[in-house]
Amino acid sequence: MPRIYFKTAERCVEFAEGQEVNVLRMAIREDVDVPWQCASGNCGTDRLVVEEGVENLDPPRRRERARLGDLVDQGYRLACQTYTRGDVTFSWNPDQVGLDASDSDRRGVSDGSDGRDDRGDSDGSDDGDAARAPRSGWAGSG
Amino acid sequence: MPDLMAPSEFRLALEQAFSGTMAKDASFSRAWATGKLNKQHFVHWATNHYHYIGPFGDYLGLIYANTPDHARDAKDFLLQNMYEEELSDDRHTDLLIRFAEACGGTRAYVQDRSNAMPFTKGLQGWMYCVSGREHFVVASAALIVGLESQVPSIYRTQYPTLINKYGFSEWEAEFFDLHITSDEIHGERGYQIVLKYADTPQLQQRCLQFVREAADMRFAYTKALYETYVLPDLGAWVETEDRQPALVA
Repeated sequence: MPRIYFKTAERCVEFAEGQEVNVLRMAIREDVDVPWQCASGNCGTDRLVVEEGVENLDPPRRRERARLGDLVDQGYRLACQTYTRGDVTFSWNPDQVGLDASDSDRRGVSDGSDGRDDRGDSDGSDDGDAARAPRSGWAGSG
Repeated sequence: MPDLMAPSEFRLALEQAFSGTMAKDASFSRAWATGKLNKQHFVHWATNHYHYIGPFGDYLGLIYANTPDHARDAKDFLLQNMYEEELSDDRHTDLLIRFAEACGGTRAYVQDRSNAMPFTKGLQGWMYCVSGREHFVVASAALIVGLESQVPSIYRTQYPTLINKYGFSEWEAEFFDLHITSDEIHGERGYQIVLKYADTPQLQQRCLQFVREAADMRFAYTKALYETYVLPDLGAWVETEDRQPALVA
């Protein structure tokens, strides 16, 4: 059976062959501790790094592209917006918060990041925020 | 009365309760997914859908009021669901009207109750009744497991047709794309609430009864859409194309 390996939580979730499953739904269903907040592609709290199996994922959706911006090119996906039909491995920073939160709260994924802005802004500025921000976010995620 | 089921057994029973009458398999849904409908049909669909799901915040609010304080996670879920329907980004009914306008409809036409089928008004009344009068876990089973959790399976077959065959932009069809993903999570959280709080055989059986009833209501509503608006144009629906494989979470 295909499987989603949630590497940071050290949990593996299997699903039936031939199915295409939503990543965050599977995490919630199996009680895997993936950080998430709005589940609508607005807050970005559930951004994950695809470590393996990108070929099994559906393409990023409009809302996901708008929210993640350059992070898509760096291998990030939003768990709530992503479907997989085969084996895939994800990692994340367990302490990460929404993308609209203050700079001091932003951290990279569990790759030894030094805590710099992980949204892909080359100069670490906030210039991209306005374009990516929802009109109003879910409480706690900006 | 059957014994209390374990969560895994109860979940399977809930899934099986609506597996035979899923709205994605109704004639209107199949005609949509296979590109047989025209934009006027879509306006009629959007109008009726507006009067079906427009009061969804009301339905959830009634369930919220019936949910005891000790079930705080259930209350929080209902509140978050309401917030996402109405305020977290674009109001969901506005996305629906955006689609209707892209099909040549108007906001005023969609919002005019007299343009909805009697069956739609009956469905709306059923939802108000279940939300207001049933135990919160039964109402959650009906509206969230029985109805809302079906949405991704319906729209995942319809959305690609809207983009690829009819040429709608992603912006015009955002109502569908948004619900493909958000209702995955709403549906799953609904399951979690029902599995946790349906803690007697009586409640489990009533949940199953209302999930079946919800699925029957939505299936019949979708079938009525075809018979009211499409049958005069296309005749009776005959399944001729290969079925898409089920997309199950």
